[in-house]
Parts: sequence; structure tokens; C-alpha cells
Amino acid sequence: MVRLITHNLLACHAKDCNTNNFPLAFKDVQLEIREAEFNPEFLRGFLPKLEWTALVDTAKQLGDTSLPVEQPEMLDDEFLKNLHHVLLEIHVEEGSMTCPNCGHVYPILNGIPNMLLAEHEIG
Amino acid sequence: MAPRTLQSATVEGDPGVYEDQNVHMIYEEIASHFSSTRYKPWPIIADFLASLTTGWVGLDSGTGNGKYLPLPADRPGEVWTIGLDRSKNLLDIARRAGSTGIVREVVVGNVLDNPWRPGIFDYAISIATIHHLATHERRCSAVKRLLESVSPNQGRVLIYVWAIEQDELSKRKVVEDQDPTPTIGKDVVVPWVLSTQQTAVTEKCATPRVYNRYYHMFAKGELVGLVNEAARELGLQVEPKAESTTKNIRGVEVVQDGWERSNYYVELKLWQT
Repeated sequence: MVRLITHNLLACHAKDCNTNNFPLAFKDVQLEIREAEFNPEFLRGFLPKLEWTALVDTAKQLGDTSLPVEQPEMLDDEFLKNLHHVLLEIHVEEGSMTCPNCGHVYPILNGIPNMLLAEHEIG
Repeated sequence: MAPRTLQSATVEGDPGVYEDQNVHMIYEEIASHFSSTRYKPWPIIADFLASLTTGWVGLDSGTGNGKYLPLPADRPGEVWTIGLDRSKNLLDIARRAGSTGIVREVVVGNVLDNPWRPGIFDYAISIATIHHLATHERRCSAVKRLLESVSPNQGRVLIYVWAIEQDELSKRKVVEDQDPTPTIGKDVVVPWVLSTQQTAVTEKCATPRVYNRYYHMFAKGELVGLVNEAARELGLQVEPKAESTTKNIRGVEVVQDGWERSNYYVELKLWQT
């Protein structure tokens, strides 16, 4: 289950791939929606660490357009609930993630992304 | 029963290949039985996780069956720990860790890699993992990856490794008592006995299978020494943050270190000016 909470933290780590290596682009995904308990205090604390544009764009690619392009100043309940859904309830079960810089493909199998590299790809 | 003396190990050839054969492949095989024996969190780790600030996100590097992912149990959803491990079979268990039905976040990866935005985590834990790396350099690299994965400003790190000094209740004894105060750890293999009931139904062999996992058992002071070396190589000062400070200094404070029930541990906090 790569959810966007994890996807927003992952970056390509192939050898010599240090710039423009985030966010990884989802491809051929199968999604599953699972309800999770809403915790607004967690979201408020986590918000400053998010790469906002990457989150909004990736959510859009997965078919969710509920988030505003600019992070709002007022964190009302409606916004936090949309953010909660995008970060914690959309599970990418199958598919892959491609590095925008070097094109390395990280597969997702049974909901678990595989970030291992072959020996010669390690930086 | 008298403690069993462990067989010493000799790491030969490429250490990565050696770890594949003597650590990773074994955990894939014993995952389910291993997991059924690993459910009780150690107190210092539970306390560390209970002290985290709401909204924090952390990395459990070498999460195994994910037993620390649901903690702190009384504040579900207030912090998120993401589990990383080499063993897919253990991660299949880890993603369901805890009895609540909540799905955890887990990633297949090597603790020597950093597939994350730099310094993005608020905390990182590495429990009973670094002792599976087959050389001093690789253990040092693993510590560096932990220091790089957390916020340079306030990141917290907790590391646990097996100690040569096993407690009296342990079934294991690491070395014969030739050297009462070793300063360097010992490379050993620790047997895992998988009885026939626990292996696959198709398995025909009648005798239990024994898997010898590689461990580097740490000597007293060795873990803190490793942290010092890793920090120096990253240009970090190893001391508490001073009151009056010059700009642009980065450091790491050893918050606590010690021995708890057959393990050495160290807790760290990063700082910058």
C-alpha cells in the first residue's frame, strides 16, 4: 500500500540521480479505497513537511481533484477531510513508480513498493 | 539448561552476497514462525515512541514483522511510522501489524540505501537490524543513512543491536570466557530451528531445519563508537547543542545509551545552529 503519505516522502536513489528525482510518477495503477480514522491533529503537524504541488498533481493523476492548488491559510474541516482522504485512504495496490529524471522504474506488488536497486545502480 | 555457546562466523567474499545468503534468504524462509515469536515491544523503544510529537512521521529501518509500527498504541494515528525491510514475507505480516485491522505503510528496501527525500523524517528507529550487516564499514554506512534520513534540526534516532553481554535468562552465550571485556564485537551465527510443523505442508523432511543467521554481536562501547565515526564522516559534531553558538554548525547529541536485556542501545538527537 503505497499511500500518498509515503509517496510524498519517496525519491529516486539510483546512482548519480540527485536532481529532479521527485516525485516518482505512478503508472498502470490499481487503486483501493479504505476508510481510515480521521485525525486532524496529525494532519496539521504533518502539513509543513509535504511537498504540496507534488501531492496535488499526484492526487489529480489518481483521479482526485479535491485539493486546492495553493495550500490554504485556513485549515477548515472540509479541507482537512479532503487531505486525510488523499493521504491516507487511497491505496495504490499494483502498478509502478517511474523516476522523472533517470526513468528508473520501481514496481508495486501486493500494495508494497520495491525500492531495491541492482548492485550496479547503487550510488 | 546451560546457555549454548554460539558458533563464530567468518565473513567471506562479497559482504552483500554474504548477507543475502546468511540473513535475507533466511528471514524470507522463517518469516511466519519468526514473527510469531516477536510481539513484545522493549520498554525503552515503547517509551521513545510514546514521547513523539503529534504530526511526526518516522522510519523503522529493518522493521521485520512491524511490531513497532502500531505504537504508541494509546494515540493511534497521531504519528506514522513507515516500515522498511529487505524481506517481502516479513512485510506482508508487517502491513497488518497490530490487532486493529489498520493497514501500515511498508516499503521493500535496503538499510544501506536512502530512497527518501533527504532529512524528511522526524525520527528513525533501527531495532535489531544493524547487527546483521557483515562489515564495520557497512554498519557505519547504515548509521549514516539513519542520520541523513531525519531532520537536521530536531531529528531523533534510536538504535538497538545485540550485545556480546547476554543476560542471564538468555539461552545464548556468545563466546567462551577467554576475554571478559572485549572491545570489538564478535561475528557469530545464531541458529533458528524451524520444526516440520512450521514448514510448508509439502515439505517431506522429518527432521527440523536449522537456519544459521549471521550476527555481529556488539561489544561494550562499540555502538557509540560507530555513531561517533558515522557522525564525523557526515561533518556532525558529537555533543549537546551549545547555548552561544556560531552559525551553520550541525551536530548530534547522544541523549542516552546503555544495555537492556542483551542489547545495546543509543538514542540521538540532531541539531543545527
